[in-house]
Amino acid sequence: MDVDMESQDTRDIASRIVTPGSVITNDTAFMRGHGTFAERTTIYSSVAGAVERINKLVSVRPLKQRYSGEIGDIIVGRITEVASKRWRVDVNSRQDGILLLSSINLPGGIQRRKSESDELQMRTFFAEGDLVFAEVQSYFADGALSLHTRSLQYGKLRNGTFVTVFPQLVPRSRSHFHTLPCGVDIVLGVNGYIWVSKHVPASKVEENSELIYSDKNEFISDDERETIARIANCIHLLNRLYVKITDTSIIFAYEASLTHAVKDLLTREIAIDLAHNVKTRLEQQS
Amino acid sequence: MSRQELISPEGLRVDGRRANELRRISCRASVLNSADGSAYYEQGNTKVLVAVYGPREPRNRSLAQQDHATINVEFNIAPFSTSERRKRSKGDKRLLEISSFVKQTFEGAIQTAIYPRSQIDIYIHLLQHDGGTLETCINAATLALVDAGISMMDYVCACTAGFIDETPILDLNFVEESSIEVPNLTVAIMPRNGNIALLQMESKLHSSKLEDVMELAVEGCKHIHRKLDQAVLVAAKDLADKLSN
Amino acid sequence: MVVEIEPSNIEREFLLEALEKGIRVDGRGIYDYRTLKITCSPTYGLVEVQLGQTRVLARVTCEVTRPFPDRPTEGLVQFNADLSNLAAPGLDSSSGKPSVQEVAVSRMIERVIRQSRAIDTEALCILAGEKVWSVRLDLHFLDHSGNLIDAASIASIAALRHFRRPDVTIDGEEAIIHDVNERNPVPLSIHHTPICVTFGFFGSNGDLMLVDPNLLEEQVQVSSFTITLNSHREICALSKAGGVPLAPSLIQRCTQIALTKVDDINDKIQEALMA
Repeated sequence: MDVDMESQDTRDIASRIVTPGSVITNDTAFMRGHGTFAERTTIYSSVAGAVERINKLVSVRPLKQRYSGEIGDIIVGRITEVASKRWRVDVNSRQDGILLLSSINLPGGIQRRKSESDELQMRTFFAEGDLVFAEVQSYFADGALSLHTRSLQYGKLRNGTFVTVFPQLVPRSRSHFHTLPCGVDIVLGVNGYIWVSKHVPASKVEENSELIYSDKNEFISDDERETIARIANCIHLLNRLYVKITDTSIIFAYEASLTHAVKDLLTREIAIDLAHNVKTRLEQQS
Repeated sequence: MSRQELISPEGLRVDGRRANELRRISCRASVLNSADGSAYYEQGNTKVLVAVYGPREPRNRSLAQQDHATINVEFNIAPFSTSERRKRSKGDKRLLEISSFVKQTFEGAIQTAIYPRSQIDIYIHLLQHDGGTLETCINAATLALVDAGISMMDYVCACTAGFIDETPILDLNFVEESSIEVPNLTVAIMPRNGNIALLQMESKLHSSKLEDVMELAVEGCKHIHRKLDQAVLVAAKDLADKLSN
Repeated sequence: MVVEIEPSNIEREFLLEALEKGIRVDGRGIYDYRTLKITCSPTYGLVEVQLGQTRVLARVTCEVTRPFPDRPTEGLVQFNADLSNLAAPGLDSSSGKPSVQEVAVSRMIERVIRQSRAIDTEALCILAGEKVWSVRLDLHFLDHSGNLIDAASIASIAALRHFRRPDVTIDGEEAIIHDVNERNPVPLSIHHTPICVTFGFFGSNGDLMLVDPNLLEEQVQVSSFTITLNSHREICALSKAGGVPLAPSLIQRCTQIALTKVDDINDKIQEALMA
């Protein structure tokens, strides 16, 4: 699979699938980016993926990769450890993310300063196993993500169920929190962690800021549970067949799934069927 | 102890192959959903399944290295893999040795400096044992690592070779391997520059014959490289098509 | 948990710079072994080897046992290596599993002696299917100052050649094992003497090499290769695991160098056994 790239034809370089150790180009004019390494004047690929070229920068994007955070990403994470003035959060990445005590909203008003008792009572905010909806603020020196929840839309997640998908299937968009017409809220984390929950009106949340760290779920009726389960299964099948996961595609999948029982959505034939359905509708739309 | 004829007068081995023939290879990447990368690899009757997780947060933070990733390999032989059921203990020195060889081999191939403070886990399961344990583990692990999108300088391809009746032979099966008279050489190379990442030999071989046997093994490795590359391209094109829709 | 102390950056650089000029930090030539001292104790089968500062004790014992059912005419050979905190800090086996070095060394010795059929196991048979000798080789590492494998291989083969087992007379279906005071014990039947030679490689491509790395060199090396040869110029084992990948031509060069070293070491073992 060694194709010698003597030609300067840009069409040939980009979008070619390469494998580790294969030559990308011998031209010294190019700079090497992610997924490549250089030996003398030749640039080789170090992963299996498609070659991308932006001006003089050549890089290879692997088809499968762990989530690597960027500043401004909206993600869902799970608290793994409570440390001194910070929490460690599993964000499906190379390293755990860090949520500092100074980066969260303290109950009793946004402007409240953190006190010493807050440091000692960190578990009253987030304990191990809690799910948190946060945004990537910056990086630490060692590359770990620094998260913050300084907005009322962020914070602890409850009243729902958790779904994991491939991170590449969740595109970055304006908003990652959606309320679906069927009465279900979804949170699409760019890191592939998704939360499907019962719809809670925004006004109710703002009213009582003391309750933002409550661990109690609201009452969820059987119908609501079924809808949540249906949406979760729809997301599973979209993930299985590599369809991009956006609020639109989930709504299409939901509508197409109404003719089947919730548990049937997990069978292979029905999943393929529905996924095709969704893809067609998405194409028609664009 | 009866001595089976390992090469017939017509030049055929116990499984009907010629001296320089590889066993049939079939491999597939992305066979497990929950792993970051996975591969199923068959060489003749030897079957191996590998799952790769990572790079991810190290289990034991005190073992994390500041400037590169740590690689952790666990190798398991299924009790049903041999003709007689045999469960091996976790501390079995042979298993630990193979895990250690695989780990050291990939430390030279994976660009660990790109993933500081993280851990790459490689879990290998031998499902059926018909010779060539180390070579199939390395080949399957390479495929799984490429599938996981982990940066590597090159593939690592391994092959065994031996020497029977003055003839170098390629890719030993279980019968040939167990025969105490046959030297068993396992070579793993990086195909791009032909450098040797791993070299193991057991049983006696005259020093003058070494070059021939090694050359044969390296040829075998190059052939295996083509097979692995094909499998990766097939999986990659497949995934690229699906994702572009 | 005690951790082995890594060499400082300055030691590392000093070693590499000196090596580029062909000089080793302890003054040896790049193909020179450290001083080898083999002490055979009056007890048969007990040998201590000192290779520079590395010290290994090998002990061979035997007992009568039943053979394996599928191999009724062959004796048993067992290996055990004990590499613990006694030899160097950081080598504790408190986790239960043997450490990486212990596995590497014991598997290497086992491969070298068992797979290359150095010991004639058929000669260990007393009564087929019922009684055979089981020979056990125990290695105790007393001091780790680099290159445990070479020292261990010399100690092992010297101990095996030094060992004497009790003499046996077969009387029909009965076997009479003579006490060592009655009749002189007999040596084991050893086909050939395998010796390990270890090379260390340095530099970004592994093109700087040396023989018999000491502890500092072992910590700094980027790759390592062990070749086991006997006096008939046969290769009994090869082992290169990990580190920087090496060009095949380097392997060939190592084989040539090792051939000369093995003869020297063999002579030393002979001397020690005669004494």
